[in-house]
Amino acid sequence: MSHRHLKPTLLPLGDQALLIRYGDSLSDSANLAAVAMARRLEARPLAGVSEVAPGLVSVLLTLSPGTDFSRLRGELMMMADHDEEAPTSTEWPVPIVFDGEDLGNVAAQLHLSEQEFIARHNGVPLRVLATGFAPGFVYCGFHDDDLVVPRRDAVRPLVSAGTVLFAAGQTAIAATPIRTGWHVIGRTTFHNFDTAVDPPTRLRAGDRVLFSAAS
Amino acid sequence: MTSISILRAGPLTTLQDAGRFGMLKHGISSSGPMDCGAFAAAGALLASLGSTGIEFTRAGLGFRAEDALRVATGGGHFQLAVNGEARAWGSELQLRAGDVVDITPGAAGNYGYLRFEREIDVPLLLGSRSTNVAVGLGGFKGRALRAGDQLALAEAGSAAAALRPTAPSDGPIRVLWGLHADLFDATARQAFVNSRFPISPSLDRMGVRLVDAARIFLGQRRLTLVSDAIVPGDIQILGDGTPIVLMRDHQPIGGYPRIATIVSADLDRFAQLRPGAEVHFRPVTLEHAQ
Repeated sequence: MSHRHLKPTLLPLGDQALLIRYGDSLSDSANLAAVAMARRLEARPLAGVSEVAPGLVSVLLTLSPGTDFSRLRGELMMMADHDEEAPTSTEWPVPIVFDGEDLGNVAAQLHLSEQEFIARHNGVPLRVLATGFAPGFVYCGFHDDDLVVPRRDAVRPLVSAGTVLFAAGQTAIAATPIRTGWHVIGRTTFHNFDTAVDPPTRLRAGDRVLFSAAS
Repeated sequence: MTSISILRAGPLTTLQDAGRFGMLKHGISSSGPMDCGAFAAAGALLASLGSTGIEFTRAGLGFRAEDALRVATGGGHFQLAVNGEARAWGSELQLRAGDVVDITPGAAGNYGYLRFEREIDVPLLLGSRSTNVAVGLGGFKGRALRAGDQLALAEAGSAAAALRPTAPSDGPIRVLWGLHADLFDATARQAFVNSRFPISPSLDRMGVRLVDAARIFLGQRRLTLVSDAIVPGDIQILGDGTPIVLMRDHQPIGGYPRIATIVSADLDRFAQLRPGAEVHFRPVTLEHAQ
């Protein structure tokens, strides 16, 4: 399956990194294009590129000192011109105990009962949009438009690893203790960060997650 | 096994090697020395070099060599004494068993380095012995060193890499316009270039807050941005207008607007600027920065 072709903008980030950016706001198409480009770059490494990291709407390339940006730009634009295959993805079951302190508030904002919210939340598989912000922290999206609440006004002090967060049409999973301005809706036993294993995270951008209610 | 005992350590004394690379896609920034050049220069004083050294802050470091050991110091300018006798900063030292080394605050810099002829015996974690203090990962049990810790030194190191000569510079800190530079109006961009920003006392391995004395960014409209990749040296503007320069233990991605990025050749020098020092930024082209 191929999808609508997006032309990226190539932006230097300082003098040792380049960002391949598919948009300046979060969209399904920009995210899919970024994930597909990152996978192509991982499959076919380019000279001078030392690291490839997919983000929400972009791919970060860190570069060896002295890498020729104009040469790299040319190579990247050629790669970006290819039709994008939808990346193959692994499906991961993620059981959630829905007992978060913001669950009631989130459901109320959406004019749903807690049970209705949980059913809607788990109703369709989401896609891992990106890892970032903290080790193993994943953003998963997208929920339906009528399941969108803004972030909280205040940032919560540390929430523990495994905390399930909800905001901005997405569900996120913390894999280490973090501070967050997202709503805490539950917790999972799914661990996405283990330094004893290589690679240390399991969920990959483009993978699918299927949530279920656990007790 | 050869070892040293930490007698005195400031709050942010960490083990660092060149850095933990290749982990950004897992949400882990590279860490590594705040002043990479000084870290390498101290290492280059030793014929045999372990990959990992101790990075300490302005308070300095005190330790006792439990066995004979060759070390080298560098970074900033600190006072150095062995058994109470002054020694030159930025030199190689042959220590005997029982020697007490005292590194105390000196004239310049925030970060100093102690390098060893042997490898520090802590496990490699995801390919590196660097400590990421933001996450509590790597180095010595994932934390800063403190008095009472004992560091074992294991196998002999290898020959130090040749130093790339760098021209000393004390001019403005060079920057490239950043990911979101065009979201700042021309007046704000011009004021950013014309102003001098004092370094605030709030600085660590994650970031250095600057003082926006002229309140250039106070009235900037708040923007909701999609989170995007951060690189060391990015200058982001917080919601209250505070500029903060993101450093080696930065978050991998962030959603605050970034006006500019300090060029890699000037980031070491920036890291060593003490609170109160005034920073003047000068935009350069990518060709110049490389």
